[in-house]
Amino acid sequence: MNKKRLGLTGFAAVIALAVSTLVAPASSAATEIVVWADESRGPNLTKVIAAKGDWVSGYTVKVVTFSSFDALKDAFDKATDASGPDIVVGGNDWVPTGAKSGKLAPLALTAAVKARFNPTQFLDLTYKGKLYGVPVDINNVAMIYNTKLVSAAPKTFGDMVSYYKANKASKNLKAGLCVAGGGMSWGAHSVFSALGADAYQFNSRGGVVYGRGFNATTFGKNVRTYLMDGKKSNGFFPATDTGCKDNFLAGTVPFAVIGNWEWKDYVAKGFTMNLMPVPGVTEGAPGKMFGSVSGALLTTFAAKHGVEAGAKSLLTNFFASTDGQVRYQALENRPPAEKGAQADSTVSAGQRGFGSAASLAGIPQIGAFLNSNKGGANYWDSAPAYWTAVLVDGKDAVKEASKLSAIWRANTDGGKGDL
Amino acid sequence: MTYLIRGKVAIFLKVILLTLLGSVLLLLAQSAVAQREYVIAAFLGFSVLALALTYLTKISIPLKFFIPGILLLAAFVIGPILYTVTMSGFNYKTGNIISKEEAIIQVKIRGVEAAPSGLTYDVKLGKSSGLPAILVSDITNLQYFISTKDNRVSVAPGQVTLNEYGVAITAPNFIALNESEFASADKIYSGTRFTFDDQSFVALEGFEAGIVSQQILEYLPTQDVFKNLIDGGIYRDNGRGNYALENDDTVILEPGWRAPIWFENYSKIVTDPRVREPIIRVFIWTVVFALATVLTTFALGLLLALALNKPIRGRRIYRSVLVLPYAMPSVMSILIWGGMFNTEFGAINTLLGTDIAWFSDPNFARVAVILVNLWLGFPYFYLISSGALQAIPSELLEAAAIDGANPRQIFRKITLPLLLQVLSPLLIASFAFNFNNFNLIYLLTGGGPRNELDGEIAGATDILISYTYKIAFGSGTQDLGLASAISLIIFLLIASISLYGLRKSKVLETFG
Amino acid sequence: MKKWLIQDSWRHLLSIAICLFALFPLYLVVISSFSSTGSLQLSSFIPQEISFKNYEKLFNDPTIPYLTWVKNSLIIAGSVAVLSVVIGSASAFAFSRLKFKGRKIGIQTLLLVQMFPAILAISAVYVIMERVYKFAPAIGLGTQAGLLLVYLGGAMGVNIWLLKGFVDSIPAELDEAAKIDGASEVQTFWLIFVPLAAPVLAVVSLLSFIGTFNEFILARLFLVDMETRTVAVGLQQFIGGQYSQNWGPFAAGSILASIPIVIIFLSLQKYIVSGLTAGSVKG
Repeated sequence: MNKKRLGLTGFAAVIALAVSTLVAPASSAATEIVVWADESRGPNLTKVIAAKGDWVSGYTVKVVTFSSFDALKDAFDKATDASGPDIVVGGNDWVPTGAKSGKLAPLALTAAVKARFNPTQFLDLTYKGKLYGVPVDINNVAMIYNTKLVSAAPKTFGDMVSYYKANKASKNLKAGLCVAGGGMSWGAHSVFSALGADAYQFNSRGGVVYGRGFNATTFGKNVRTYLMDGKKSNGFFPATDTGCKDNFLAGTVPFAVIGNWEWKDYVAKGFTMNLMPVPGVTEGAPGKMFGSVSGALLTTFAAKHGVEAGAKSLLTNFFASTDGQVRYQALENRPPAEKGAQADSTVSAGQRGFGSAASLAGIPQIGAFLNSNKGGANYWDSAPAYWTAVLVDGKDAVKEASKLSAIWRANTDGGKGDL
Repeated sequence: MTYLIRGKVAIFLKVILLTLLGSVLLLLAQSAVAQREYVIAAFLGFSVLALALTYLTKISIPLKFFIPGILLLAAFVIGPILYTVTMSGFNYKTGNIISKEEAIIQVKIRGVEAAPSGLTYDVKLGKSSGLPAILVSDITNLQYFISTKDNRVSVAPGQVTLNEYGVAITAPNFIALNESEFASADKIYSGTRFTFDDQSFVALEGFEAGIVSQQILEYLPTQDVFKNLIDGGIYRDNGRGNYALENDDTVILEPGWRAPIWFENYSKIVTDPRVREPIIRVFIWTVVFALATVLTTFALGLLLALALNKPIRGRRIYRSVLVLPYAMPSVMSILIWGGMFNTEFGAINTLLGTDIAWFSDPNFARVAVILVNLWLGFPYFYLISSGALQAIPSELLEAAAIDGANPRQIFRKITLPLLLQVLSPLLIASFAFNFNNFNLIYLLTGGGPRNELDGEIAGATDILISYTYKIAFGSGTQDLGLASAISLIIFLLIASISLYGLRKSKVLETFG
Repeated sequence: MKKWLIQDSWRHLLSIAICLFALFPLYLVVISSFSSTGSLQLSSFIPQEISFKNYEKLFNDPTIPYLTWVKNSLIIAGSVAVLSVVIGSASAFAFSRLKFKGRKIGIQTLLLVQMFPAILAISAVYVIMERVYKFAPAIGLGTQAGLLLVYLGGAMGVNIWLLKGFVDSIPAELDEAAKIDGASEVQTFWLIFVPLAAPVLAVVSLLSFIGTFNEFILARLFLVDMETRTVAVGLQQFIGGQYSQNWGPFAAGSILASIPIVIIFLSLQKYIVSGLTAGSVKG
């Protein structure tokens, strides 16, 4: 029996070896540019790129759509050149970490291409003086008011609070102003700024001022005056954004800060896009909001895959081109960063007033500051923590404001080397 | 006794199956070698050998039962564990992720910058005298030249033909590349430095543009340093994964690479208060959380099992409903509970008429977490307690009753000890599972609340594994090396607790 | 009558109270799925409207091939359930019945390996499968077969714990009888043990099915293509977006996804009770 067994073993081994040598491993073609995008951009990009097949001659473009933005980030964090994309359409906050880790590759744009964008938009995608992607669309927020409740646009912050206090009972208001889009750090920056706490300061020449935070006492006192009733919140401004959109749509909140990516939901419920910046404490000094961009970022994998020039061409010929943006934004409905597309009539209809509200009171989002943990804590975490500490936990507005100011100042100082 | 397949046919089938499996694995091994994945190829080869030996010879009969399981375990569980343990000895975090060879390539790429002149040109790719060349057009000044990696030749305006944008497309001694040739030419042209002048060259940015660039950093392979050509600064390997400036080691070149730092991650856990304090705090809460979960779910489950031990009316319906939390997808349930705890609109506050900020207050958040875990876990303990109760021989209980014991005494002295003996392995398993219950914390509170203004690093409901996950994959700096070290420590802790528990419950005696 | 009140009323009261506790969140999911605002905010406990918008979206939206996802989930979870039970029961049988050197060490190691926090293993598995994709695209990253292999990696350890106790409780005399008849160990396993253990195996495979069905962390890394995704990953689409969260379709999808599981669970209830405890009760 043993001999037979051995014989069978040998037979099996020979066949196995023979079969295995017959097939050669497949080789890959180096003419495909792979673009990763999330669940909303991916399908639209696929359609636009398929409609005109030759954005870069000699190459095919493959768009991979992930199930969610989180999944996209997760995968990109783990990707190596074996499976990674050549271009990824992601958030501007990926630039510092991606560049540091060697996942994103720098690119240089010609003056002609640069002129098609607002120069401050590049700040969002810059790290240590190098640019890592092309701005695709602008993200910003603006304040909207319910014309059925409020007859005229409020001129100051105090006007809004007075309206709330006067009508709270009769109109059954759940809050006065809430942040429906953008979250309690980014979206709420317009409220921070309206009350005197800008994330970073600019000097008269438009440069960033280092070593200085916002005036914590002034801001804290404003918070006490407008948002508090003694030690508790007066209900005007909720500390979280939960339920804000629903309440505004239901008519129980007169003012809301909304994002430019969801204007359709509001128009569908019959609201007019009467957008404005959040009014400040004094008339004519509204709160500033971040104008950030999402970018089509170039990865280091592109060079590895041998499609570096092709990827760069795709970035300039499609993502940074008027034609490409007009076609893409016709489906995506976000305000494009590219100037030529902004001026296009079909696209600007989709912006519905966000563009003008943005230009009135916008500050560039500087990724290198906001997205780093330099100084120990970062803007994204500490901003919402302030609202919780003061409006929910009843801590002292000025004291917490000085903590916040110290954190943001350390953040800015620490991040300046990364700019 | 009948057998499914007899003698020779069985052997024949076995051999065929093995041959197929073996060929597939060997095929894969060969592809792996072709792609230079030697470790995987070796593993596959070893697997073929192991499978052949196991099933074709009589080396080991038990092995026939678990060799497939072991091979899969080795590949997808033990392999990653070894990888994690290895990672813990490296400085492996944001900024230090790639390999050193890769980092050198990347630093070289970033060592090229646009020249101060800021000149950019439109270019056309082609060949000149057989070499890769570009035909450069300066549209504003109407100047044109052909550049290869060796030299640059001016071309008079009269000798070129222009396209509608004013870009030169033909010139003497220049054959333009066909668009279809672009893809195959990509690598070569992207890597070529087309001459511009003594100090700068034209670098391609896509197929139509060229930027005048200079090399700022030069790599000296023999000394393994980077030299800054402008100010002469030397950057050396600092042993921790970066090239650092000689006189000021806070100035580093990026990206860095993952460098071995041996036990530093572990000592950091012990010596750095910013790492140690949160971990200790989180560890204490993790133990409390796991214990509280096991106790509450077991208590409630047991209580229900006792209540429904008797065939009362509607027992079937109760049983079916009580099992539902366990049968629903936990992702959905946890997210719904999260919504229910919302301060202003959540169902809980509406029901109780309170205004508790559940997820903003550390203690309420902890209560919420345990409550949700109770909801998720009591059906499991209800089911197994039911079964265990039924398994207790009724003669024992009857005898005790005859002897005059009241129900409470019976429960305490007979039922409970028997139950505990039977269920203790499962209680231990539940403790271990909840110690690492990532899903619940991640989806319900995200580990919060956290007071960032006061510099807190770990959230109030963070358990060791969610905290470690944030260190490894959170936004901001991701430190996989440190997270791996913490994982190993968590593992050693749970393993020892579980082993101790198992020894005590004498379950392992059954394997003796 | 009095006896009934004292003895049984507490049983009913307790059971009803806990049943309400168990049902409450599920009731809210159902209401959310019928609400058109697409959020988890509940202004009242009685639904103001019944709108099928969310359910319609699941079936009519071309970017949401819900049925394909369900099919994928069923295939993957089903394969994992069956294969992992085979692997697990074979290993449990070997560890229980066969005497061999290193038996005790072996099972201790298996249990300990289970306890390693696997969150970080995700990175490792990703890298491994990336490399596998390079030379074997059919089973590498992005394929269902690759994900299946990864899930099966843990099959042995998890199931052994549940199954071994049951195997121990099957009297050894049956094995002896088979041996006398000339059966080998493998034949004993397939022809005697498996039929006897069928209920327990069914339970274990159901638990494995549920666990795999719900897993989304690995699945969303692996299955990127819209057509290969599982339900768990697909539903993430509604709540993992960059700026917006869409609870309505998520609730609707979750409910639909859980119906088959609940049905199977309820119909196998009797088996489950005996199966879960048979692993811990002897004799």
